[in-house]
Amino acid sequence: MSWQTFLLHAFTYGILVYSMILLTFYLLIGAFSILETRAYLHKNRFTDYRMLASSNEAPTMSILAPAYNEGPTIIENVRSLLSLHYNNLDVIIINDGSKDDTLEKLINAYDLYKADFFVTQQIKTKAVKGIYRSHNPVYRKLTIVDKENGGKADALNVGINIARSDYFVCIDVDCILEQDAILKLAKPFLETSTHRVIAAGGVVRVANSCEIEGGRLVKVNLPKKFLPRIQTLEYIRAFLLSRMAWTRLNGLLLISGAFGAFDREIVINCGGYHTDTVGEDMELVVRMRRYMEEREEPYKVGFIPDPLCWTEAPSSYRILGRQRNRWTRGTIETLRSHKKMFFNPNYGILGMLSYPYWFFFEFLAPIIEFLGTVGIVIYFFTYAVNWSAVVIMIGVICIGILYSIFAILMEVLTYNQYKQRKDILRLVLVAILEPFIFHPFVVWSAVLGNISLLRKQNSWGEMTRQGFTADKKAR
Amino acid sequence: MALLAIVILMVCLLSFMLLYLLIKAGHEKKHAHWRSLANTLIHKAVFDDEDKIDERFIRETLNDDKLAKNRYFRKLLTGEIISAKKNITGTAAENLIQLYRMLNLDKYAIKNLNSMRWYIKAQAIHELTIMQISDLVEHLHLFTNDPNEYVRMEAQTALVQFNGFDGLSFLDTITHPISDWQQIKLLQLLTLLPPSLIDIAPWFQSENTSVAVFALKLARNYHRFEQHDAIAKCLDHPDSQVRLEAILCLNEVYTDETTDHLISRFLNESLKHQLAMIRVMQTLGTERDILFLTDLLNHESDLLKLDAARALANAGNNGMASLEEYSKQSEQDITEIVLHIKREMSV
Repeated sequence: MSWQTFLLHAFTYGILVYSMILLTFYLLIGAFSILETRAYLHKNRFTDYRMLASSNEAPTMSILAPAYNEGPTIIENVRSLLSLHYNNLDVIIINDGSKDDTLEKLINAYDLYKADFFVTQQIKTKAVKGIYRSHNPVYRKLTIVDKENGGKADALNVGINIARSDYFVCIDVDCILEQDAILKLAKPFLETSTHRVIAAGGVVRVANSCEIEGGRLVKVNLPKKFLPRIQTLEYIRAFLLSRMAWTRLNGLLLISGAFGAFDREIVINCGGYHTDTVGEDMELVVRMRRYMEEREEPYKVGFIPDPLCWTEAPSSYRILGRQRNRWTRGTIETLRSHKKMFFNPNYGILGMLSYPYWFFFEFLAPIIEFLGTVGIVIYFFTYAVNWSAVVIMIGVICIGILYSIFAILMEVLTYNQYKQRKDILRLVLVAILEPFIFHPFVVWSAVLGNISLLRKQNSWGEMTRQGFTADKKAR
Repeated sequence: MALLAIVILMVCLLSFMLLYLLIKAGHEKKHAHWRSLANTLIHKAVFDDEDKIDERFIRETLNDDKLAKNRYFRKLLTGEIISAKKNITGTAAENLIQLYRMLNLDKYAIKNLNSMRWYIKAQAIHELTIMQISDLVEHLHLFTNDPNEYVRMEAQTALVQFNGFDGLSFLDTITHPISDWQQIKLLQLLTLLPPSLIDIAPWFQSENTSVAVFALKLARNYHRFEQHDAIAKCLDHPDSQVRLEAILCLNEVYTDETTDHLISRFLNESLKHQLAMIRVMQTLGTERDILFLTDLLNHESDLLKLDAARALANAGNNGMASLEEYSKQSEQDITEIVLHIKREMSV
């Protein structure tokens, strides 16, 4: 056998084995997500959230919302947060050294004064310039922190230092939350007595083209533009299938930075958010899990499938590319910081399953896919087309489409946010187009993310958003 | 071959989804009609002044009981009645219960108590509780320690709903933990009832620590001063959650010696428990405690220092003066803490 033939066979069978393992994971994720979603829906049939809303026994929760140059929308966003249904709730907005008029607008709108406030440094952060409270008792739940710019992670750490609650919910200030979002997110922390729930996440949905009034979502629409629409499918797949399945196994590694709740005590014991990574949300969850594993304390990371948080998805390839580049760097940084857990049985599911899955199918997948495609193209141009490899590739694409269709089916059978039949058909069309239009771009962005990391580029990348108001006007 | 199988599977999944949507659209029309029938019955029961619901009207509405035997319609009707019942009281609510019984929905729920599926069983208990069908209360007692947490939660709720404080007797026997969620639910239910001085002391010593925690919450909410010594004993409980709850309880159930109990155990506790103790002293602290609290201003934890300063400021008439004097004399700068406390006290 010549070395060329050997290389060809190694390439083909390598891709085949990798694809088979990936397919097995897809099947398992599908099965576990069905089981977990079914159990959740059954449990929720008896749940009366009104009971928690009015109870003084409910745990205290703080919403932490970092704001950077959010001047145009900040007042409406804060108003929306203050109107959430939960008794023991306070809202902490952290102005992370905005260069625009975010702080001035807040001072004027909410009648704020600079309060004498002793900030405890439980987690080390950049300097706090001032704490503002309102003269108006209606806004007694509101605290505004003005601090030196230090990034999202640093801003959240300041919020954690200032909060005195049992749990905190970190959100992106421009996200739209459902009125009962905090009630639903608080429940996982109260449900179990045998394990300590250290964090809980909720589903984030795409809000582009939805109707928003007064900071509230009034009508759900499928995004009109192609990119947000394709991300709608991506979010459904990620949240309804993948995260639900990993929750079933208690192996969830990621709670979205846009909306998640955490046990404040554990976060402080772990040292808070790391400011030297762009994937601070995933890194914190992994570190918290590692902390609990090393102390051999029983714990869980919860996740609920209700659509509770709506966010604006990037609608240009430029912004989307930056976002995916950052996500890739965040994943690699997290995996690198916690490499000790890789196939380490001392960390249970976390070390033996969750971490390897992320390593092989989140970090390595785009690289393998990229190299595989390049390989096929090279073979094509050298007239040595490996038809087996091509068939495998087509098979993988078909399985991807099948998986997306299954995700749409799960959406239809559970929350069914897109009521019109034509919207479902549009989503199916998107599922068919995704592997050819969107997916290659995502793979390329991930490859660029790897290159950026090698070049030690660690910027967050500007994330310009149109804003819901602008979107509405465009409609 | 494999590729073909995937494509076939894809087509099957798509067809199933489209078929499901079509069937669902068809069902929606039928369900709208059923919902309107259910609402007619509920409307009649709620708004008619008559004490007894006309049986003939029910039969006519449901087309001679045919519909009532339809499993799906029954499910929808039950759901509508339950949701209406949750929002009304008085005669209208009694009429709804009468309607529920006349439609024999209670019999179906009772039958479901024997289901092998936990969610059907739990749903049945939930339904019977909302509809105040108390005939089976003794039977429900058996479910309060059911291995499935949702079944036992519903059964415990039912007992408290039907028997009030006496319904808490299940706490004597349960071996499974009561979740925080369930504790909140039970305490919320009890707030709707007139307070009762049931014997809670044995529960403090329960081997089931969640029972001890719940009993401490009861003592706190109902200011059971006569239990003070038993609560203070819980400060030495081996379980940290029970100790924490005991500390919080002493904030509401106290004597002149309460702070002595806390101070004597202070050094042996974790920071979390120490903070809880200091917060209790913010309410109960007196001039006797000034020395202890002043010492804590040197503590390494800023959080504890802040809480100790707050407690000191509230400890009798000289508390604030002691804090300010310490601030002037001490080598460490606690000016920010003093200003923070002053701002809080001025609000």
